Amino acid sequence: MKTILKSMIIAITLVFMFIADVPFLFELLVPEAEAIYGTRRRTRRRTAVVVGSAASAKTAAAQQQTAAAQQEAAAANEEAEAAKQQAAATAPPPPAAGELLPLGTVAAALPAGCVSTPVAGVQYFYCGGNFYRAVFQGNNLVYVTTKPE
Amino acid sequence: MRKLTSRMAMALFAFGLFVLPVTYTTEAHAQAPAVDPAATQILQRMTAYLANLQTFSVHTQNNLEDELDSGHRVDYDISAEVTISRPNKLRGERKGDLIDQTFYYDGKTLTLYNPSENVFATEPAPGTIEEMLDYTRESLGLIVPVADLVYRNAFPLLMQDVNLAVVVGKSVIGGVRCDHLLFSRPGVDFQVWVADSGEPLPYKYVVTDTGIPSRLSISTIMSDWNVSPSVADSRFNFVPPKEAESTSFMPL
Repeated sequence: MKTILKSMIIAITLVFMFIADVPFLFELLVPEAEAIYGTRRRTRRRTAVVVGSAASAKTAAAQQQTAAAQQEAAAANEEAEAAKQQAAATAPPPPAAGELLPLGTVAAALPAGCVSTPVAGVQYFYCGGNFYRAVFQGNNLVYVTTKPE
Repeated sequence: MRKLTSRMAMALFAFGLFVLPVTYTTEAHAQAPAVDPAATQILQRMTAYLANLQTFSVHTQNNLEDELDSGHRVDYDISAEVTISRPNKLRGERKGDLIDQTFYYDGKTLTLYNPSENVFATEPAPGTIEEMLDYTRESLGLIVPVADLVYRNAFPLLMQDVNLAVVVGKSVIGGVRCDHLLFSRPGVDFQVWVADSGEPLPYKYVVTDTGIPSRLSISTIMSDWNVSPSVADSRFNFVPPKEAESTSFMPL
């Protein structure tokens, strides 16, 4: 008796879980040719979105593959964008003074106290033992740790 | 034993209660929503009109919705001036939250310039606006204002996989009476407001990401359309200001 009740409860719980998944399942099953295209920000990306995704899907030979790839790219972008935006909205804690960062570390903004340091006509910013150089990452101007040449 | 069966019956009933709505939703989804030709015709007229414009400029006010990690909704505003000269010139100036940037495309190179930091990057670019937009988006991760509507073949691109097209009704945007259209395709809904008399210009454009629970949108309100501006070619050329620092694009 108890076992029957228990298994019923389990079954119902499973159904519950299934229901929660149904809308998502359905979306996955829909042959989705488009992915939302990337913009600098999650939302901005969508300006280019509608046409952007269609355009690339069209030019691609294997449409479905492209769509899948795009979707992944878009998803990745979105995360990156979200992260970036977060970084921009709430400034990340600057690295502790003197902390040497690996080359190629990207910062959304220069840490406090960075000083413009031209080396061979190229502008670098120096602080905490690191040299930064301004680089465009998409539409964002970011600062990347580098070694002056 | 009777007790057992009655409980089983109850359990089955409960089971049914859960299963029923599931079948229901699936059926509702399965019904093909309507594509109203009245809506697609207006969209086609608008895109064809824009595609045939040789030179035009427009002011856009963009609102970007976003969600902070804390779950709060936040909006960013960007004001942009876009000037286009087909087939191969575009200039866009954007100012607003988190951005102060001018984009130049002269048919040979494209440049991104941040006046506040006095930093720019120049890259060789493809020979037409359409190819350039594809290139900047896919290779540089750059987004150009109102790119969607700039494509000469915007109509088929916008209509791809559209499974819903509706004329929502009439509205007035910035004093201009417009037809309000809604389109939907998997993952994206978009709305366009097109002037209902005179030149079929778009005055508002909203794209909603329906693939995420928060359904964030970007809205663009267009104003100050000039469909025959006199623009010198030099407007599309970037001349580095004094002491501007040249940099590069990070590979994607």
